[in-house]
Amino acid sequence: MTDIIQVSIFGLLLGGVYALFASGLTLAFGVMRIVNLSHAVFIVAAAYVAYFAFEELGIDPLLSVLYLMPLFFLLGVGVYMTFFIRIEGSPRYVEMTVLLTFGLAIMTEGLLGWRFTGIFRQAKPSYLTDAFFIGDFLVPTGQFYAAVLSLVLLSGLWGFLRFTRTGYGIRATMQNRSAAQLVGVNVRRVSAISYGISAAFAGASGALMSYLFPFFPFRHWQWIALLLALVVLGGMGSLKGAVVGALVLGVASSLVVDQIGPGWGPMAFYAALFGILLVRPQGLFGKELAA
Amino acid sequence: MIEDRAAAGEIEPDVVEAVTAPKGPGKSRWAVAAVLLLGLLLLPLGRPFLDSYNYTILLVTNGLMWVALASSWNILGGYSGYISLGHAVFLGVGGYVAAVPLYYHGVSPFLTALVGGLAAVVLGLAVGLITLRTRGPAFIISTIALLFMFLLLVENFDYLGGTAGLPLPVVDLPQDWLKAPFFYAMLIAAVGSILLSYRVAHSKFGLGLRAIAEDETKAEVAGVPTRLYKIVAFALSAFWVGVAGAIWGYSLSFVRPSLFFTVAISAQMVLMAIIGGRGTVAGPVIGAALIVAVNEFSLTQFGSSEINIVISGALLVTVLLFFPLGIVGTLRAKRWLPAFLDWD
Repeated sequence: MTDIIQVSIFGLLLGGVYALFASGLTLAFGVMRIVNLSHAVFIVAAAYVAYFAFEELGIDPLLSVLYLMPLFFLLGVGVYMTFFIRIEGSPRYVEMTVLLTFGLAIMTEGLLGWRFTGIFRQAKPSYLTDAFFIGDFLVPTGQFYAAVLSLVLLSGLWGFLRFTRTGYGIRATMQNRSAAQLVGVNVRRVSAISYGISAAFAGASGALMSYLFPFFPFRHWQWIALLLALVVLGGMGSLKGAVVGALVLGVASSLVVDQIGPGWGPMAFYAALFGILLVRPQGLFGKELAA
Repeated sequence: MIEDRAAAGEIEPDVVEAVTAPKGPGKSRWAVAAVLLLGLLLLPLGRPFLDSYNYTILLVTNGLMWVALASSWNILGGYSGYISLGHAVFLGVGGYVAAVPLYYHGVSPFLTALVGGLAAVVLGLAVGLITLRTRGPAFIISTIALLFMFLLLVENFDYLGGTAGLPLPVVDLPQDWLKAPFFYAMLIAAVGSILLSYRVAHSKFGLGLRAIAEDETKAEVAGVPTRLYKIVAFALSAFWVGVAGAIWGYSLSFVRPSLFFTVAISAQMVLMAIIGGRGTVAGPVIGAALIVAVNEFSLTQFGSSEINIVISGALLVTVLLFFPLGIVGTLRAKRWLPAFLDWD
């Protein structure tokens, strides 16, 4: 029993980080109906920045969040203005976003591979191997910091969406794009900002990835598969769903690793994806989607 | 009759034109196809005359495989608009279904290739039943997950050789003729997939798929059994990919999970079909030929596969933004499409 609690603690810490990784993905889908296959490659790109900032300049990966978020916000707005503006209102729009972000992901992956080669990287700050005890239970310090930071950022996002004027606009657009436009929301501006926020969260996620998970350019495919699976589990476009899905799968995959063996963790994600599509295709918190 | 209704404003003018326009010179298409096929059939006989015979036949065999893959992908992704990013899974399934009897019992993949294709179809049906019940992006996501799920399973299954895969024996033929059987097998796969694509395009089923791509709700209201059609399209689009996988593994003399179950292969299929023109019969064929040539060029020029990946991604983005109809679709829209490329 204590064993299961211990594994669940690991799982919850991991789940918090997954929630941060997936938040930008679900935001982009919720607001703009963009299925962003390039989200994970952005995370990996940010991880490279944080990694080299740590290796070359000694900047702690957690501090890298401070400049990665604004940097990736601008990058995200730039990407939105360059690519997504052009396909607005095009027929078969969702399909188009999938293909476009697929191309962007391939391109970015190639650039990263060309620049940084395919070798595994991992930043190793001092707290990576530290741990402390709460009662009888072990808490790894690095993962604890990451989970706390994720919690802070996700609360910030929630507060922003809940209490600011731009946040109202974003939520209105999520609920009904044309109605939002009718009541005077500048939908295009809202979309650009949302994509920027989505990318900023990818930037923050990259800072955490740089020391939590060994990475190399090609890895992003595996990540996008996992993140999309948990977003579908939670219900596409639902932030609450993404957080709950992330926590559930964090714990579930930790239990799978504990019971079956290392390397089998992703199976929890895939099983959850096909399972939820079988019993409740719209996901835990999703609305029935129109195509 | 139709002109009267058009005059009354019931039918759009371009529809009238499409219906009443004289059909293109259909014979020339078949003549071109026959000449091309004959040339390909005779290619291995050119061995004594071609200095670069080995290189040529490898390249053409490779090209034929990609024609089979891209044409197959197009049956679902082109006609119905449901993008599969995990189609490489069928290549892997076909490859392994043929590799196991060869490795353990010495059964030739040339005999089991069709079984590999059928296995892919069965997988497509099973997965389609789960993931195509809904509309929209969940299917796309599940195809990526499916690919990684199979990668994980095969890598951890000792009977299939784990991450190292299975080494396969070389065909028992004189050195000079070693490549010919693979060439002919891939030719069959390529022609088979083009014929399948053509048959689908010219059937009521294909019409239903196009209706789904346009507007699934309207298609359903109009009586198209959308769910059934999508699942059947997914399964059909798996068949020749599975067959090609069986042949490909044998020709490489090994199967390995990291080579078969990879997004890179799916990405190439998508790229070829889109550049050529998705939803057309000739598009994926042209796209495959073009991309194989581009890959060959960039590999010899830059020697690094990373640059090749960048080029692939950049091509996909550029085509989507500026020529979303692809080569065949864009040419047709401008009425520049030569008749021998018009198979729709």
